[in-house]
Amino acid sequence: MRARIERLLDRLIHASAMERIAVSLAALFASIIVGAVLVFVSGGFASCRTGLDLAGWTFCYNPIQVYYELFLGALGHPLEGGWSPTNFNLATTLQQTTLLIFTGLSVAVAFRAGLFNIGTQGQLVVGALATAVTVVYAAAIVPGGFVGTVVLIPIGVLAGAVFGGLFGAIPGALKAYADANEVITTIMLNFVAVGITSTLLSWRFQDPDSSNPQTEPIPEYAEIPNLPFGFGGTMDFSTLALAFAVLLMIGIAWLLARTSFGYELRTSGVQPQAAAYGGVDDKRMVVSSMTLSGALGGIGGAFWVLMVHGRWLENVPDLGFDGIAVSILAGNNPLGVGASAFLFGILESGSQSIGTATDVPPELVGVLSGLIILFVAMPEFFRMIGARYLHVEPDEPVWADGGGTDDGGETDA
Amino acid sequence: MTDSGTGTIADGGRGVEHGDGTARTAGGDGGGDLAVHLDNITKRFPGVVANDRVDLRVERGTVHALLGENGAGKTTLMNVLYGLYQPEGGRVVVDGQERAFDSPRDAIDAGVGMIHQHFMLVDTMTVAENIALGNEPRKWFGLAVDRERIDREIRDLCDRYGFDVDPGATVADLSVGAQQRVEILKALYRGADVLILDEPTAVLTPQEVEGLYSVLEELTEQGKTIIFITHKLGEATHAADEITVLRDGESVGTVDPTATTQEELAEYMVGREVLLEADVEPRENGDVVLSTDDIVVEDEREVEVVSGIDLEVHSGEILGIAGVDGNGQGQLIEAITGLRTPDEGTITFDGEEVTDWSRRERIDAGMAYIPEDRHEQGLVMSFDLVENGVLGSQRSAEFANGGRIDWASVRDHTEDIIETYDVRPPDADADAVSLSGGNQQKFIVGREFERDPDLVVATHPTRGVDIGSTEFIHDRLLELREEGVAVLLVSSKLDEVQSLSDRLAVIYEGEFVDVTDPDEITEEELGLLMAGEHPSERHEPTDTVATGDRGDAE
Amino acid sequence: MAAGPTTEVRPMRERLPLPDSTYMQAVLLGGVIVTLLFLLFASPSTHTATLRLAVPIALAAIGGIFAEKSGVINIGIEGLLIVSAFTGVIVTFWLGSGESTLFVSHHWWGMLAGVIASTLFALVFAVVCIEFKADQIIAGLAVWLIALGLAPFVSRIVFGSPNTDTVGTFDNVTVPVLSELPLVGYLLFDTPPQVWLMLISAVLGWYLLSRTSFGRWVVASGENPKALDTAGVDVRKVRYTAVLLSGVFAGLGGAGFALGQLGTFAGGGETDIQGRGFIAIATYLFANYHPIGALGGSFLFAGLDAIQIRLQAAGYAVPTELIRTIPYVTVIVVLVFVGKTRLPDAAGENYESGED
Repeated sequence: MRARIERLLDRLIHASAMERIAVSLAALFASIIVGAVLVFVSGGFASCRTGLDLAGWTFCYNPIQVYYELFLGALGHPLEGGWSPTNFNLATTLQQTTLLIFTGLSVAVAFRAGLFNIGTQGQLVVGALATAVTVVYAAAIVPGGFVGTVVLIPIGVLAGAVFGGLFGAIPGALKAYADANEVITTIMLNFVAVGITSTLLSWRFQDPDSSNPQTEPIPEYAEIPNLPFGFGGTMDFSTLALAFAVLLMIGIAWLLARTSFGYELRTSGVQPQAAAYGGVDDKRMVVSSMTLSGALGGIGGAFWVLMVHGRWLENVPDLGFDGIAVSILAGNNPLGVGASAFLFGILESGSQSIGTATDVPPELVGVLSGLIILFVAMPEFFRMIGARYLHVEPDEPVWADGGGTDDGGETDA
Repeated sequence: MTDSGTGTIADGGRGVEHGDGTARTAGGDGGGDLAVHLDNITKRFPGVVANDRVDLRVERGTVHALLGENGAGKTTLMNVLYGLYQPEGGRVVVDGQERAFDSPRDAIDAGVGMIHQHFMLVDTMTVAENIALGNEPRKWFGLAVDRERIDREIRDLCDRYGFDVDPGATVADLSVGAQQRVEILKALYRGADVLILDEPTAVLTPQEVEGLYSVLEELTEQGKTIIFITHKLGEATHAADEITVLRDGESVGTVDPTATTQEELAEYMVGREVLLEADVEPRENGDVVLSTDDIVVEDEREVEVVSGIDLEVHSGEILGIAGVDGNGQGQLIEAITGLRTPDEGTITFDGEEVTDWSRRERIDAGMAYIPEDRHEQGLVMSFDLVENGVLGSQRSAEFANGGRIDWASVRDHTEDIIETYDVRPPDADADAVSLSGGNQQKFIVGREFERDPDLVVATHPTRGVDIGSTEFIHDRLLELREEGVAVLLVSSKLDEVQSLSDRLAVIYEGEFVDVTDPDEITEEELGLLMAGEHPSERHEPTDTVATGDRGDAE
Repeated sequence: MAAGPTTEVRPMRERLPLPDSTYMQAVLLGGVIVTLLFLLFASPSTHTATLRLAVPIALAAIGGIFAEKSGVINIGIEGLLIVSAFTGVIVTFWLGSGESTLFVSHHWWGMLAGVIASTLFALVFAVVCIEFKADQIIAGLAVWLIALGLAPFVSRIVFGSPNTDTVGTFDNVTVPVLSELPLVGYLLFDTPPQVWLMLISAVLGWYLLSRTSFGRWVVASGENPKALDTAGVDVRKVRYTAVLLSGVFAGLGGAGFALGQLGTFAGGGETDIQGRGFIAIATYLFANYHPIGALGGSFLFAGLDAIQIRLQAAGYAVPTELIRTIPYVTVIVVLVFVGKTRLPDAAGENYESGED
């Protein structure tokens, strides 16, 4: 039993940073291949005028063209003429990247504490509504213009963080004090979040000038300005926001590595008993890490409101669910979340390019992100392939004193 | 052939005194009727040769001890015989036939059964379900398990070998000794002729050990062959007809227990001369550092596991707690160290009541704790030694400033521990998981002792630790005692608690049955106390600490 | 310990598929009371709706029991429901609904296809977890997310929309005479076939788990796989079988729900399954891994769902969005109360044979 735990841990630890990156890249690659097969085969069932004819069967989709649109379309086709770095597609990619950094961090923080927060989506939905409502109400008493921007944006982000955090604290408290499995409760709370926010919307916050389920718009000066350079106002992306996301990412990495709280959180995540032994109050740690995770999700919601739509809409995109994939691909490492979020930003934005430039359904991206999670979850698969074809021997621990691994360790002398 | 076995065990039945006084004749007629012959077995693991051309010959109808230190390769060798491992070299011969076991199934089919040190029982299932597991007789064209037949067959086996086991009982409710008998029945149910017992006495009281010896006697009388893995010299000389000693994966030789002394055997095992006794100078007691008053603890299932324990530990004193595992010592220690809230009673530390203090407050107040389970509690296996060096002190003023950990000073501290406590390899960046058990334990001991504690709570501090590290840890404990630190020592090793402690408390079913002077009690009397019985000739307590409990026990 | 004759009368509890702890008996008693009240005060249409809505939850829960009891936590069961429901509808559509091949209605062929699809997904999950030692929770989430993407993806290719066309539902199986009986008549003898599949599966699941040697191996594999291994049973095979069984049961549930209740499948958002797979997990925890208990638990959630649908239709002042959350809130409440359900000791752990 202990030996098994040790070996399991060992596998995790000896996956060095390099190996983790290799596994993530390999998982990405494998998903792309499986996705290509899926695209090609499903093309056989679609109807089209021109396609590849094989043995009397017409395959409508060309996977290479799909991936071309997916990856390069997301950047605004840099290989084609007339490319400008501030194009609409790249703005969308970076906009998604920014938001996914927040949700990815949210999931990663919980993961590092040993908790599966599938509820980032719900926390984001709640936080976003809180932001929109707070800013709309606060705008009535805060002067407009530059002052309004400087005051309202922090207030809005704070509101999102607080309400997202509170909503994240619920499954934390249920886990800590009633031992309710957080995977299920967070998923259920996602449904509850949708119900509560819709109810609140129809009860009080519905925009009277619209038949769409949405709040009143926040004043334009309360939206995050597209500074410091050049993505046009219609592009709904701000480099300032991205910079904030990156800073937050570094801050979270610092928190985990350098602070007492971060140390306790990581210890609780890998070995709760050792944490308790070391004086960590495990219940409080579950609640506080879920609160932090929820707050990060709520900040994601705040930026969705303040940067993208300028209001809360009932139809919230699946940023929280994508955050799970972002975090897992990043190995739950906050610093890896940036790169991982950029990749998923490309996928999100690229799915729009696919939708316009090809007949392949944009839902392909959902399948791809599921596949990526599946492959990242099985590093052993790539290790086996590596051992077989690349002759890379897996790391085995050599016991420091040359002692055997057999009857040691648990013998009661 | 079985005569010698009978004689031996009958002798052993009188007592457990160690030494070479037990007379016996050599096992068997010396004939060639080998039940098992392991010929030149070699088994490698990455980086380690666990068995290096080991030879083992076991005669039918005898008890054969396989003696060696932890890590000598005993269990590996037996896992080869049981088909769990496939050897890189050598032959496995059972009943004169060469075999290649790919899985335990093959070994079982060839009549080899193994009773592992950690019982291979499913706690939530019944005795009958466990015994028949994997071999269920079926009825209704294989659509249902024939439970009546299982019960009948178990009763037949019990009658034949004189066991008293209820097939309908849930395994979790059985005592350890009874669980072991279930394991033996399980092997017999599968038709085992050769039974391998891996460290079978590790979790038993001395009385249960005696019971085991008589079971073994009954089995060999009926022609079964026993291979008995142990690292305890006394047991090997006591119970076995022949002893094969393993050291560092190699076979040192097979000896006749009647023709050898314990000292010789110990030398075979370790490869150098060893002293079997540690001497402890008596010393004056200081102030009371820790005291508990009528502590009651319930476990997760709300069963009372500690029932009103009073104890006092003075500075400069080692109070030992002896007891069979699972008699409440774990929960008592958790209540003292702050990992568990007692349901009743108070705990006083350095003159302050600390019953409601958190674990952290107790650490900060100077309570060091060497936990029972170093893999789960004492170390974070995936962290390196630097990160492990701060475990418990992550918020102390020494290493943390405004919530920020000063990793440079943690590293210095860790390197000091590594140097002072001889942790090998001396690499602060090594992950805890990569260290051997002994070195992991030395690191924990170092970290805890370097807290400059007033009290050290040490639970099974040398469990699974090699002889060298054990001596080292014992010496450090005695040094602390010299320095005036109070030590509360819990161990299931009788020789350890007996030789180190100034006073010895015996715990049974959550109560102290006695507190005695360890020098004035024999191992046998201790064994009786651990089984909850008072020896006819009781020792007067040397202290008044546990008055209430003594009263209860009488 | 008297050596009783084999004809000895065992206590009722041992012969009947009833749970044995006092906690479970209390739950059972509560369940009976609630059921009686429900039968008395709710309308027959709510009763039948409950029975039909219970199908995906109960079958997914029974499947989940096998996987988790064997030590593989299958959190992807939601994904299995989605895949089987969707495949069932699309294959029925493709073959032509309302027609039949080899004298078997295309709805049944669709059902078969759904079960096969779900089982194949379960096989992938099993390989990933057992062969490649993936974290079971993460792999389960991946199965769910893949299914969540795949259903609307394929649907868009075939129908040009994330929702499928309508294929209609199974005909009710009406037993003459018996269907005239009060209550039982419309509940059991004038009911779509998937309800019967659910009832039979619950009994079958209970029998497999508690009366066959395979059931014992499943329990041992989840509690102490090493004990099973050393007893000579291949833990991998047991776990593969158990996970595949979870695929079969979930497949029956998903396809039965889609072809017997919905007649179509909406693949957008959370899809038409709407978290019923996760509710199923809460259900079997609530039932302490007892298949028949899980059937009872599924009636609770399905009953709430049925009432919720009726409340929406009735148009009370309470916003429908809030009413819709009733089943989910109930799951959370139930989890809070059954938080102490003891998971199998080795659940979630990968097992490697031959380890020390």
